[in-house]
Amino acid sequence: MNRLDYVVLIATILAIPLYGLWRTRGSASLGQYLKGDASIRWATIGLSVLATQAGPITFLSMPGQAYESGIGFIQNYFGQPLALVVVCAVFVPIFQRLKVYTAYQYLGERFDRKTRLLGAFLFLVQRAIAAGITIYAPAIVLSALLGWRLNLTIWLAGGLVIIYTVIGGTKIVSITQSYQMIVILVGMAIAFAVAVYRLSPNLSLESTLSVAGKMGKLEAVNFSVDPHTRYTFWSGAIGGFFLALSYFGADQSQVQRYLAGGSLKESRLGLLFNAVVKVPMQFFILLLGAIIFMFYQFEKPPVYFNQPAYERALENGYAPQLMALQTQFDNLFTQKRDAIRAVSDASPNERDAAMTRLRELQAQAGELRNRTRAVLTQAGVDPKSKESDYVFITFILQQMPHGIVGLLIAVILCATMSATAAALNALGTTTAIDFYRPLIRPNASNHHYVVAAKGLTAAWGFVAIGIASFASLVENLLEAGNILGSIFYGSILGLFLAAFFIRQVTGSAVFFAALFAQTLVFVLFATTSIGYLWYNFIGCAAVLISAPILQQTLFRSADAPAGE
Amino acid sequence: MNERHGNGDVRSWRKAYGLALSLFAVEVMLLYLFTLRFS
Repeated sequence: MNRLDYVVLIATILAIPLYGLWRTRGSASLGQYLKGDASIRWATIGLSVLATQAGPITFLSMPGQAYESGIGFIQNYFGQPLALVVVCAVFVPIFQRLKVYTAYQYLGERFDRKTRLLGAFLFLVQRAIAAGITIYAPAIVLSALLGWRLNLTIWLAGGLVIIYTVIGGTKIVSITQSYQMIVILVGMAIAFAVAVYRLSPNLSLESTLSVAGKMGKLEAVNFSVDPHTRYTFWSGAIGGFFLALSYFGADQSQVQRYLAGGSLKESRLGLLFNAVVKVPMQFFILLLGAIIFMFYQFEKPPVYFNQPAYERALENGYAPQLMALQTQFDNLFTQKRDAIRAVSDASPNERDAAMTRLRELQAQAGELRNRTRAVLTQAGVDPKSKESDYVFITFILQQMPHGIVGLLIAVILCATMSATAAALNALGTTTAIDFYRPLIRPNASNHHYVVAAKGLTAAWGFVAIGIASFASLVENLLEAGNILGSIFYGSILGLFLAAFFIRQVTGSAVFFAALFAQTLVFVLFATTSIGYLWYNFIGCAAVLISAPILQQTLFRSADAPAGE
Repeated sequence: MNERHGNGDVRSWRKAYGLALSLFAVEVMLLYLFTLRFS
């Protein structure tokens, strides 16, 4: 990175919050601070919802995921459009009609206080950990590659978000997120164009995609019913539906985004915008990874993308082993490049043999990377994150022109800031409205609650930074957020679906059903290896099945649903 | 009058949901064709 990159980076990440602070200047009422105001339109809501979900991991890890395993991950989003339609039709009208600040207030209205507190508590636990990972994920990669100090990177990204989120509340979160999302989309489009432009001049884009497809990188849709196949249409459509329904219907960080406009129409249009654009957006991010994969078939990649870890191993006396592997890797690279040209030039009769040869070489390259990783582990420089997380950032730093490098680092930091701001805003709001107001100060003034919400938002910011500082155990950044969400979301969703659709259940039955479901998911997570998307379904189903049973047995004489 | 307006509103939103899901179905179909073409 040179001076131009730093100018672009600093200008981009500072200009948006400063503009947001200017737009939201002046004191806000409790309603304005927690829900924004009627000036927020569907486009802002749509971009804000998109930015809350995307996060830095999407842009940092997803191209690396496609580089390593192909673009099949796209199928995880196949359940989302239907889930968003259900949220539009069922959840949003109820939240808007009751004029709630948090989704969990509705649980209090429908059931009782303990069920509301349980839903809010499960949300707080998982969202606080997820916010810590959101700050940590880009910080570990950027600090390693750019030589920044890890804690300083965490505090810079987290500190700036705390300041503007505390001052401006929901409205500033929505405004800054929409501009941050525009920067992200423009940055990623430029990265895509540069990656295509930098592909081998000897091979057309179509031939490049054709070879990438034959190397297993472009299988976007797989209708296999084999449970051992990780990403399929079915697991994405069914498991992904429950994950998305829980996330958009019961996670306050999203609920607060689409309730920001104050009108049912604006909320619904913002969500439907996401139903249409999410899959194409993820497809292009994954395709970018596949194109980077093809770029590195003609331009020699590092033998191991996490270069800082590799260099530490060299310094620790493992140079002979690593140099031997590097020599083998260099030879293999040349052979592979020739094999790709052979595939491209082969007649239909010769193509199968050429492909077999290419696949063999590809398998050998994978084996060499595994051996390199083993040497790094032996050298005591065990990398704390997946190698694939370093693929896209390495491509940016080594292949992009100056200025664009700064913009793309800004993209990653904008994504961090937007996702973290939404999380802190929701954590502060939920603590203020669901815990502080009913349990500690029930009859204070609105101004008092605004001050309390600001203090609690700041406090959660420091908690998230604290978690980020100790999050080094997380290896797979891309999956960590989804796994964490899937563990908690099923039972939270079960609470809401029971509230909407099972009339006869009361608070105590559904409360203990959710506790049972959450325990069941914890046990399954600890003892089995089923795909994590299924936890959403299992947790939700456990609540919906056990709540009526508990109602008919232990809580038969319980009163009708109580209000707050 | 209000009921008629309410019913019209429900129908409009149903059309909007149908449109969103139809566009998604087209997206999946295009992705499948992409898979067939390049895999």
